[in-house]
Amino acid sequence: MAEDRLLAVWAALACLLVVTGALAPTLASARPANQIPVESVRADENPQRPTGEAWDAVPAVEVPMTSAPSGLPNADETSIEGIRVQSAESDGRFYLRLSWADETADLNASAPREFADAVAVQVPANTSVRPPIAMGSTRNPVNVWYWRGDAGTEELLAGGAGTTTPFERPAVNASATHDDGRWTVVLSRPTAADAANRTTLAVERDVDVSFAAWNGSEMERSGRKSVSEWYHFRLGPGPQGPPYESILWTIAGLAIVGVSLVTIQAVRNTGGGAE
Amino acid sequence: MSSQDTTTAAGEGESVDLADGVDHQVAMVMDLNKCIGCQTCTVACKSLWTEGGGRDYMYWNNVETKPGEGYPRGWEESGGGWQSSDHSERSPGEIPDKEDYGESWEFNHEEIMYEGGDQPLRPQSDPEWGPNWDEDQGAGEYPNSYYFYLPRICNHCTHPSCVEACPRKAIYKREEDGIVLIDQERCRGYRYCVEGCPYKKVYYNAAQKTSEKCVFCYPRLEGEGPEGETFAPACAEECPPQLRLVGFLDDEQGPIYKLVEEYEVALPLHPEYRTQPNVYYIPPFAPPQHSEDGETIDVDRIPRTYLEELFGERVHDALDTIERERDKVDRGGDSELLDMLTDTNPARKYRLEVFDDA
Ligand code: SF4
Ligand code: SF4
Repeated sequence: MAEDRLLAVWAALACLLVVTGALAPTLASARPANQIPVESVRADENPQRPTGEAWDAVPAVEVPMTSAPSGLPNADETSIEGIRVQSAESDGRFYLRLSWADETADLNASAPREFADAVAVQVPANTSVRPPIAMGSTRNPVNVWYWRGDAGTEELLAGGAGTTTPFERPAVNASATHDDGRWTVVLSRPTAADAANRTTLAVERDVDVSFAAWNGSEMERSGRKSVSEWYHFRLGPGPQGPPYESILWTIAGLAIVGVSLVTIQAVRNTGGGAE
Repeated sequence: MSSQDTTTAAGEGESVDLADGVDHQVAMVMDLNKCIGCQTCTVACKSLWTEGGGRDYMYWNNVETKPGEGYPRGWEESGGGWQSSDHSERSPGEIPDKEDYGESWEFNHEEIMYEGGDQPLRPQSDPEWGPNWDEDQGAGEYPNSYYFYLPRICNHCTHPSCVEACPRKAIYKREEDGIVLIDQERCRGYRYCVEGCPYKKVYYNAAQKTSEKCVFCYPRLEGEGPEGETFAPACAEECPPQLRLVGFLDDEQGPIYKLVEEYEVALPLHPEYRTQPNVYYIPPFAPPQHSEDGETIDVDRIPRTYLEELFGERVHDALDTIERERDKVDRGGDSELLDMLTDTNPARKYRLEVFDDA
């Protein structure tokens, strides 16, 4: 009998472990794939600063990066493997906080072989159609928010690789820090657009976005860059879409619990028979 | 894919390979036998185009001692150009180090000129290399040491690998005359052209954050000066021994066409880079070698193998042709070739308006 009880306790513990193990990840990634949530934050919590308190409460998405396809020399040799992305909105301004590992802060392009670190974000000029990922096309251009260690911020319009042209009156601000082997850059812009071809983020639908980054000390520049696939800012209405991952994890968790219970029952029965 | 396929210019008799989409091609012939290394061309170019504004270290025109490291140091080993003669694939190249160009040094002019110091004039930094650091060193052993000067500008190539290297199509070959220019509005300073040019004749301007290069003095060619007159590039016009001919490769009446295409005595530098330069050189002659006791012996002072390294196999025929023509003149004969090489008439040396009403 004592043995039986012990077995039951162990079984219950095991069940608990299995269930928490199965459900815990659903808490962290209860979000459709490639979605970047846009949180409302308070302007007095300094979302414009990489270290602003506003960012403490904003969930981060880890975006993997790979070398962009390109005919340029050594295009497949890039060094940045991922960017941590957060986004927020406050008082009609849209903020994006990007953070990635890079041991050296390359802030200069003052010698022939020197290149500066840089990061860029692209969003479709027209958010209802997803443009080609390589900087859009003539008919479906993208807005590029570009920050470079030596030159500050640029807001560009592009219709395909090699076609970037600056907006006449740029509306993007940036603030950057390099600390402990990581860059953290906050880009911001008024949520609404006031110029032709400028992406408006004051919309009731999800907005495509993708990322690029360059490590200057590895001579990364132009098409030699790390890029992400398309993500989207969650700006659309209603519930957060079908959380596939959560659903799958829940089903898996329940299945494991079920199997465990059946097994325990079977063990008990066998034990009972021997008595 | 090369964007510069050759077409053949229609004309009588022999014809010239021009880049696709180019009406005429500017060209220059430099006679290396006349260069005294005075750097007047370098200074003319510098004071016109590359003073200040991030350009101090640049020499769009430089004159280097050969054999020697050149400017930038070791440029001949820096890669670039094309892998094969169909111009389908470029060779990888390297951007030279700042130290290989050498920096523009500050000198102690102030102390010496105004404060009465008696120290020698010298740079205020402690440089270990710079343009012409190995000037007049050359090679060979006494009494048979040798060197010559090699003036270099952008070659305004027929197959410019700098153009092909640019991901933004910011460099282009001008339709009217094949001059290779960088659109400063489109350039974003990525420097693929700098590494892609095998002659290292594109320079990065860190102040402007764009790349810059020789413009063949196109405003002078176009008569943009105060009098509206047409001038050859400053490096040519200012040269004391007037060793440069300027005109169009496809001007079949001009000396350049004749020297390059007919006599084949004017050769491009490093043809194996396959960019097909439009600056051509008359290869240098030197006195023959001397024996230990001062006798002249029948051995080339400048080894033919070295000249072949610079100008390719055709250098042998070129030198032989010139020698033959010289002998002819020595025997009292006439030589159109030597007449062209010794002509002092600027109207014939600089033929810049031949296609003006075409
Ligand atoms: S010399 Fe170099 S820079 Fe000039 S056209 Fe040729 S490849 Fe381009
Ligand atoms: S000015 Fe003429 S002689 Fe003097 S270095 Fe230049 S090319 Fe040679």
